[in-house]
Amino acid sequence: MAASVNIESLSVRFSDTVLAVSEFSATIPERQFVSIVGPSGCGKTTVLNVLAGLIGSYQGGVSINGRPPAAGSPQIAYMLARDCLLPWRSALDNAAYGLEIRGEPLASRHERAAALLARVGLAGFEQAWPRQLSHGMRQRVALARTFCLPSGILLMDEPFGALDAQTKIQLEDVLLDLWSTEARLVVFVTHDLAEAVALSDRVIVMSARPGRIVADIPIDIPRPRSVRELQGDPEFHRIYGEIWKIFESGLQAPAASTT
Amino acid sequence: MTRPSPMLAHAAFTGALLLTWELLHRSGFLSATFFGSPVGIAEFLWQGFFASGVLWKQLAYTLVGTVASFVLGSSLALLVALIFVMYPALERASEPYLTVLNAMPRIALAPLFLLWFGLGLGSKIAVGSSLSFFIVLSSAVAGMRSVNQDHLILSRTLGATPRQIFFKLTLPSAVPTLFSGLRLGLIYSMLGVIGSELIAAEHGIGQQLSFLQSMFNMNGVMGLIGLLAALGMLLTKAMTVLERRLLRWQ
Repeated sequence: MAASVNIESLSVRFSDTVLAVSEFSATIPERQFVSIVGPSGCGKTTVLNVLAGLIGSYQGGVSINGRPPAAGSPQIAYMLARDCLLPWRSALDNAAYGLEIRGEPLASRHERAAALLARVGLAGFEQAWPRQLSHGMRQRVALARTFCLPSGILLMDEPFGALDAQTKIQLEDVLLDLWSTEARLVVFVTHDLAEAVALSDRVIVMSARPGRIVADIPIDIPRPRSVRELQGDPEFHRIYGEIWKIFESGLQAPAASTT
Repeated sequence: MTRPSPMLAHAAFTGALLLTWELLHRSGFLSATFFGSPVGIAEFLWQGFFASGVLWKQLAYTLVGTVASFVLGSSLALLVALIFVMYPALERASEPYLTVLNAMPRIALAPLFLLWFGLGLGSKIAVGSSLSFFIVLSSAVAGMRSVNQDHLILSRTLGATPRQIFFKLTLPSAVPTLFSGLRLGLIYSMLGVIGSELIAAEHGIGQQLSFLQSMFNMNGVMGLIGLLAALGMLLTKAMTVLERRLLRWQ
């Protein structure tokens, strides 16, 4: 399924005094992994929520595969920072939840969910209740639930933001592994620049509120990547250092320059 | 030395109590007219359930009334709770009326319901369900309000229909809170049915109680009170088993 996202001069205003996002433009082709980074409160989640169709009032043009965004569109799979597992469902039924809502029959959704649970390293935990799983395992189930959907566009809102450093790196590699075989267009929101650089094809840096694009940088680290191995890679640290300077300048002075 | 099991201790205590009661009765300290006696009670129950079997029919009337009151009262409560959660303005508007109805001891409605629905099961179900309705309503509204906002956002992005949201999110989220209301609702259904049977009825354990009391048959009165206590415990136990099954994820 070809997917593309096109954002032109997106501005979102929450009230007369609060301009959350200002003049955000980006064209994202299919299968690209884009991260949006910026300080907290810079409006990156707002951009994601506009794409998900959760925010209806904005200025500018936004199109998802040529259409305006709509909540519940089958083109889109959305993943939140919290795992959002339903506590009364087993891991398997949680992983299958998205397919179930979208009308997939029981047998095929269970088959797909079980396959994805195995992919994220949870084979044997199909019948576990969420309370029996650790934070990291719960977020693995959430990843399985997200990738169960055949949607061409994944919107991820700091999916690993609440995890400890070790678990985070493990899950980033699980995500890259899933993405390598099921390449989708990913818009990944994070405040963690290292995470953005390690995962993405392209990093969009936003300034503090009102969120503007400070930089839009391609990341030329070859794939397949391993986030764990990148930790010791000098090239990764060089790119990270360069972007960090831009990131920091964006924190200090909200500039409107776009590269 | 090992401690005796609690069950054994309770059985011993109850046995001693019944024995004392029987001895006091036989020695004439306790008047048979006001207290009956354990052996007399056992005889009454044996006679009613096994020798003549007449009590089964009365028990069936009370049980059917209780279950029907509970099902009717709590389904209505769930429906109204759903409407309230969907239209909070309606809940605010109806709050003063509900407060008055809830504050009123609704057993007082029994004479009215007897006129409207007759001496049979109808009036018993009306009283029983009016009691259980309000108890289940407040817990159902509270339970349905406890839906996790993140779950709602996720379901919206998945394109869930209102029907899917109700059955897959709202209802399961409400279960823990709802069940405390349902358990009380069941006991109150029985209370309503027995209460209105006592006032006026053709059948039922409450009607039998009233009849036996007027005949000064204390063995019968005591026997039926014991029976009702056992029945109440059995119903509560059944609810607990169901709750455990539904909440095994907790």
